[in-house]
Amino acid sequence: MNPLQSELASQWITLLAAGMLVIQLLMVVQRMLLTNIRLFALQSLMLTAIAAIVAYFHNAAHVYWVAGLTLLGKVFFLPWLLNRQVRRIQIHQEIEPLFNSTASMLLCGGLTLLGYIVARPFTSLERLGNNTLGTAITLLLTGFFLMFNRRKAITQVLALLTVENGVMLAAVALSTYGMPLVVELGIFFDLMVAVMVLGLLVYRIRETFASMDVDKLSQLKG
Amino acid sequence: MTLLTPILIVPAVAGLLCLVLRSRRAMELANVFAFGITLALSLRLLAAVLAPPYAVTESSEFFRADALSAWMVLLISVVSLGSSLYAGRYFRRDLAAGAVTAGRVKEFFVLTPIFTAGMFLVVLANNLGVMWFALEATALSSVLLVALYNRKTSLEAAWKYVILGSLGLALALFGTVFTYAAAVDRQSATLPSFNWSHLMLVAGQLDPRMIKLAFVFVLVGYGTKAGLAPMHTWLPDAHSEAPSPTSAMLSGVSLKVTLYALLRFHILTTACLGTPFSRTLLLVFGLGSMFLAAPFILVQTNLKRLLAYSSLEHVGLICVGIGLNSPITIFGALLHMGYHALTKPVLFFAAGNIHQTCHTLQMRLIGLGVAKVLPLTAVCMGLAAASATGLPPFGLFFSELTVLSGGFAAGHILVSTLVLAALLASFCGILYQLTRILPGTPKIARNANAAALDSVPAMGLMLGALVVFSVWLPTPLLEVMERARDIIGGVQ
Repeated sequence: MNPLQSELASQWITLLAAGMLVIQLLMVVQRMLLTNIRLFALQSLMLTAIAAIVAYFHNAAHVYWVAGLTLLGKVFFLPWLLNRQVRRIQIHQEIEPLFNSTASMLLCGGLTLLGYIVARPFTSLERLGNNTLGTAITLLLTGFFLMFNRRKAITQVLALLTVENGVMLAAVALSTYGMPLVVELGIFFDLMVAVMVLGLLVYRIRETFASMDVDKLSQLKG
Repeated sequence: MTLLTPILIVPAVAGLLCLVLRSRRAMELANVFAFGITLALSLRLLAAVLAPPYAVTESSEFFRADALSAWMVLLISVVSLGSSLYAGRYFRRDLAAGAVTAGRVKEFFVLTPIFTAGMFLVVLANNLGVMWFALEATALSSVLLVALYNRKTSLEAAWKYVILGSLGLALALFGTVFTYAAAVDRQSATLPSFNWSHLMLVAGQLDPRMIKLAFVFVLVGYGTKAGLAPMHTWLPDAHSEAPSPTSAMLSGVSLKVTLYALLRFHILTTACLGTPFSRTLLLVFGLGSMFLAAPFILVQTNLKRLLAYSSLEHVGLICVGIGLNSPITIFGALLHMGYHALTKPVLFFAAGNIHQTCHTLQMRLIGLGVAKVLPLTAVCMGLAAASATGLPPFGLFFSELTVLSGGFAAGHILVSTLVLAALLASFCGILYQLTRILPGTPKIARNANAAALDSVPAMGLMLGALVVFSVWLPTPLLEVMERARDIIGGVQ
């Protein structure tokens, strides 16, 4: 691979990683549940593109597998599953966050800064793109924020999935080819099962509590 | 002859078999048989790792077992067998009382062997990424077990468990990725091996900053799943709301299996950095857990939550033992893992019997006089509690003494004194709490025949093993623990 090509790949990856971060921030301010699910699908699509670029420019066949699985699982299957669940249990569409949009945005700006500061000493170790590690850590931190800012069970599942996207980005950025295929497969499989288990629990919680609000889950103390 | 693959396959097959079986009796037997076979296999593994080259590998090093893994395999087998012996009769009583449906009981017998197979994979996988997804698999299979009763509280506990557990595991995956990145060769374009044994060989060449960052992520991540304070908040909920056989497995081995994963990273970090970085962190979190558990034990009102907090304290002590890093304290910590795995299930089994007889776990409502209503349960519980509080002649007394004396001998006076204080506090706590329910005359008439002599095989097996191994440790066991101690202590 010549240096020009390598530079091109690197720039594409930087751009797409930045796109993932922008989508994450959109999710922080977006209040409609179904839109949130679509945004997650779009974010996963960008991750797929990153994996495909890595596979193409580095001739790494097994990364195509990763790209394909991400496309099938995170862009199509999981959003479809979540959508169906939202419709089936007919929940109130709007998310009721703890912080309003402005405060959330400000906080996430701070978290982004923190993510980049944490990643700063390690930028020399990145092999693809610029500041992709910083972006990955920011996805983790804002994912945590999403999780505690939103009190509906299903939005917590979405937050968890964005954290997962962050991990995958870090894996691609730091080790060129992602992880060995068996590990990637295992992680993918676990993720699918995790969302199904979470979905089942959401359903049971809904049946028992007649609500999806996690604030109602507060009987156990001490 | 292959040894590791059958250990993984037998419980997984048993789980799948239970999917198609109709009769509950057959499902119970399938579970008991599967764990009986794995126990036999784990004894063979124990012998195998004691012969040179002191590690068993299979499928081109994809699976690997050294003394530390063999020790964990043994603990998992024993606790699973005990729990499955107890589970059959426990659920029969639950079904009779209408507390669960037949479908849910089937769910238990399917998921429990899969949960166990997941734990076996954690300790037998050589690849750190595989270890991660095996841990995730144990979390996912056990969360449905926690939610088995479908009560409001058990759903709440399951939700907390799965959300906090998944977050923790996401952090641990970040740490795992960082560890992998540290091993990537900057020059070559080939994918490096992600095997722990390979990483140990090249530990000196790994990027130290990356390894440090990775360990912090892994500690917080796996620490959450292992129930270290302050990330333990899910632990008392999940352990108290689960059915008693599941509580026994969660407290008895699942915590230690997660700790094992953390230990693998600790060993790697120490080999790479050559500094006390990771063991100091373990020490701090261990002490924190012990001190957090003690007050909660003293003021606890729920019997199973009391036992869960006691597990938190014991996990803390194990971390402290490893953090102190003298050969004696590490040995003490390993010994502690073993004795705790034999003690805690008995307590949960007894708590299960009390729950089914009194229909509550609130100690105020249970009231005095359990010994009159359920004499055998009360005796077993009393003995196990004496062991859990660290009274002689039970093993936990010796393991605690080993950690303490090792700590004092190595000159860690402050830490050892703090450990002693925390141990004393929880000793008083558990003793005080149990005197509120075990002795005396019952104020409320209870129907005792619900749980007459049923649970004797399970409790007898565990207590018997505890008493025997407290006074007599067979040489192979001793050797395995010594080898495991050397692996953790970094002695080659």
